[in-house]
Amino acid sequence: MNLPRLRLDPLTRKKLQRFRSIRRGYVSFLILATAVVLSLAAELLVNSRALVVRHEGRWHFPTYGRIHTGKEFGLDYAYEVNYRELRRKFAADPAGKNWVLLPPVPYNPLENCHPGETFRPRPPDWARQNFLGTDQINRDILARLVYGFRNALVFAAAFLVLTYVVGIGLGCLMGYFGGWFDLLVQRLIEIWSNIPFLFVVIIVASIVPAGIGMNLGVLLAIVVLFSWTGMTYYMRSATYREKARDYVHAAQVLGASTPRILFRHILPNVLSTIVTFIPFTIASSISALTALDFLGFGLPPPTPSWGELLRQGTSNLQSPWIVASAFSALVLVLVLVTFIGEAIREAFDPKKFTLYQ
Amino acid sequence: MDTPAAPAPLLQLENVQMHFPVREGLFLRSQRSCRAVDGVSLQLRAGETLGLVGESGCGKSTLGKCIVRLHQPTAGRILFAGTDLATLGQTALKPWRRHLQMVFQDPVESLNARHTVGEIVAEPFVIHGEGDARERRERVLGLLDKVGLPAAAADRYPFEFSGGQRQRIGIARALALRPRLLVCDEPVSALDVSIQSQVLNLLLDLQRELGLSYLFIAHNLAVVKHVSDRIAIMYLGRIVELAPADELYASPRHPYTRALLSAIPRPDPRGTRERIVLQGDVPSPINPPAGCPFHPRCPHATDRCRVEAPALRPAPGHADHTVSCHLDL
Ligand SMILES: Nc1ncnc2c1ncn2[C@@H]1O[C@H](COP(=O)(O)OP(=O)(O)OP(=O)(O)O)[C@@H](O)[C@H]1O
Ligand code: SF4
Ligand SMILES: [Mg+2]
Repeated sequence: MNLPRLRLDPLTRKKLQRFRSIRRGYVSFLILATAVVLSLAAELLVNSRALVVRHEGRWHFPTYGRIHTGKEFGLDYAYEVNYRELRRKFAADPAGKNWVLLPPVPYNPLENCHPGETFRPRPPDWARQNFLGTDQINRDILARLVYGFRNALVFAAAFLVLTYVVGIGLGCLMGYFGGWFDLLVQRLIEIWSNIPFLFVVIIVASIVPAGIGMNLGVLLAIVVLFSWTGMTYYMRSATYREKARDYVHAAQVLGASTPRILFRHILPNVLSTIVTFIPFTIASSISALTALDFLGFGLPPPTPSWGELLRQGTSNLQSPWIVASAFSALVLVLVLVTFIGEAIREAFDPKKFTLYQ
Repeated sequence: MDTPAAPAPLLQLENVQMHFPVREGLFLRSQRSCRAVDGVSLQLRAGETLGLVGESGCGKSTLGKCIVRLHQPTAGRILFAGTDLATLGQTALKPWRRHLQMVFQDPVESLNARHTVGEIVAEPFVIHGEGDARERRERVLGLLDKVGLPAAAADRYPFEFSGGQRQRIGIARALALRPRLLVCDEPVSALDVSIQSQVLNLLLDLQRELGLSYLFIAHNLAVVKHVSDRIAIMYLGRIVELAPADELYASPRHPYTRALLSAIPRPDPRGTRERIVLQGDVPSPINPPAGCPFHPRCPHATDRCRVEAPALRPAPGHADHTVSCHLDL
């Protein structure tokens, strides 16, 4: 590759090379990375809005644009077009040069796929493009899986950033400064981490005002509040270890400032080991969100979520496609993340790749 | 002012103590302390090399680290060119840092593996805000040349070099700010025997060229002999004997110095020198023995030695030779 190279030190380069040579982890990484990228473009793949409408010689791209009403395309209603109906109408017109291109899954995760009919789970119906069937209130399961995945990713990413920023920052300061500051924060963390997390979630879920609701932000705040402590333990001892090494002493003898020592010397050396935790943090945050949703303390309905789908599935075992879809998706993602995590850990293993050859 | 007979020493230590608190007990309160350095006084003249020798754990590194103020000594004064550095805060200390630098024992540990050699050697300039990028680069190349490394080394990483070359990188970094005193903490003991003398010779050449003073730490007498003007022998946090190198080798006064000397393997045509093997282990600096700290292992110990600590005093007839022993051996 002749792209302008990111300037990586040779230790990091070697680790990345090793990661790529671990097939299972690298392939898992490629698959998951593809899934993440696709989910970011979910509106183009799973959506009730058409990708392209050709109407009376004009082009329309409704996906990201404004709402088009039925009247604009010659229908008799002034609310948003049902593009699936529009497609049928255009197709029925033998002389028409009008056409509609819908995404591969032409449903959004919130809509009733069988308006006017009874609510009941329906098995996969490829002709209607309900590839994984519908749930108990006629919503497309694939659509809910895809958007649920995206919500879980957003949750996991935000969770990762927030817990790491707090945990790394505080842990690093504790390890570097030590003394009474370290002792005090350690005791506070011990008290804090003895508060039972699930009870707090249940209490908060019951007292959050209905106007705000248990949205992603509130849920994230609670989960982060009870999850950042683990990282401080690791960072504290890693910083403490690093601080006692002679390259830090050398910088101190030169008169380097504390921020310089932390950011130029200690953190880069400690963070390389933190990378190995990231996949496991992601896996655990996805599991946590799914579990909370499953228990009904997670995201408010009708937000698409895997936990909610699992709950529906387990209470509708006579409609096995629901639980099967949600369960397979969850297991697949967790297995991929675990494979990646193992490969990263192996590639970064300080015992295999160390300064002391 | 009117009697400028002896030039003021570059560095003067007065009763320097470094007692580390030993954290133990329920609330980690420290009742006891580790007396790593327990009252050291000595002088270092400009351009001189003072060897500091003692067994592992006797506090040599701790003393060196007090001098470059990696530690704040718990008591005593560290007078550098007349200014007491022992009590200065980090900000007040910064301008002094350029004058006192340190070369560490293990160059693998003392170079940040994530920085290029160029970045490592330029760091002193960055920290002290000297020069722009181009100027720094030039000075880095000059320093590398001075320690015998090619200019191409600047863009490589420490792990690409051998132990001796890495120690040269560490020396280049220590020299960057043109220090007057270099604390060399066992600078060659981590290196292959075959390259130890190369690095020692480099240090000697640099001293001659730049007029440096060295505090040269070693754990046996064999290494310091060739580089030191004077030698201080340290035992359990204290100086037990201090003399010009030749004098110390020719007529050691302290029983501990004699034991150290007898441990140096050397051809002895007359076979008169017997090897003195010390009994027992080095006592813990947390619980140093009362009286003379050496008495549990001293073949000449008397009752007086067990209760009364000997002061450092001039050996009879030698003003420049001090020893801390009750006996005139
Ligand atoms: N930061 C510290 N905190 C507590 N105790 C320390 C600290 N640094 C050193 N010590 C103790 O001080 C004593 C002297 O240690 P020091 O490293 O100065 O010995 P040394 O003479 O350099 O030995 P070596 O030849 O092994 O390098 C040891 O008992 C050590 O355990
Ligand atoms: S004072 Fe006593 S114990 Fe100490 S070295 Fe001299 S003879 Fe030995
Ligand atoms: Mg040492």
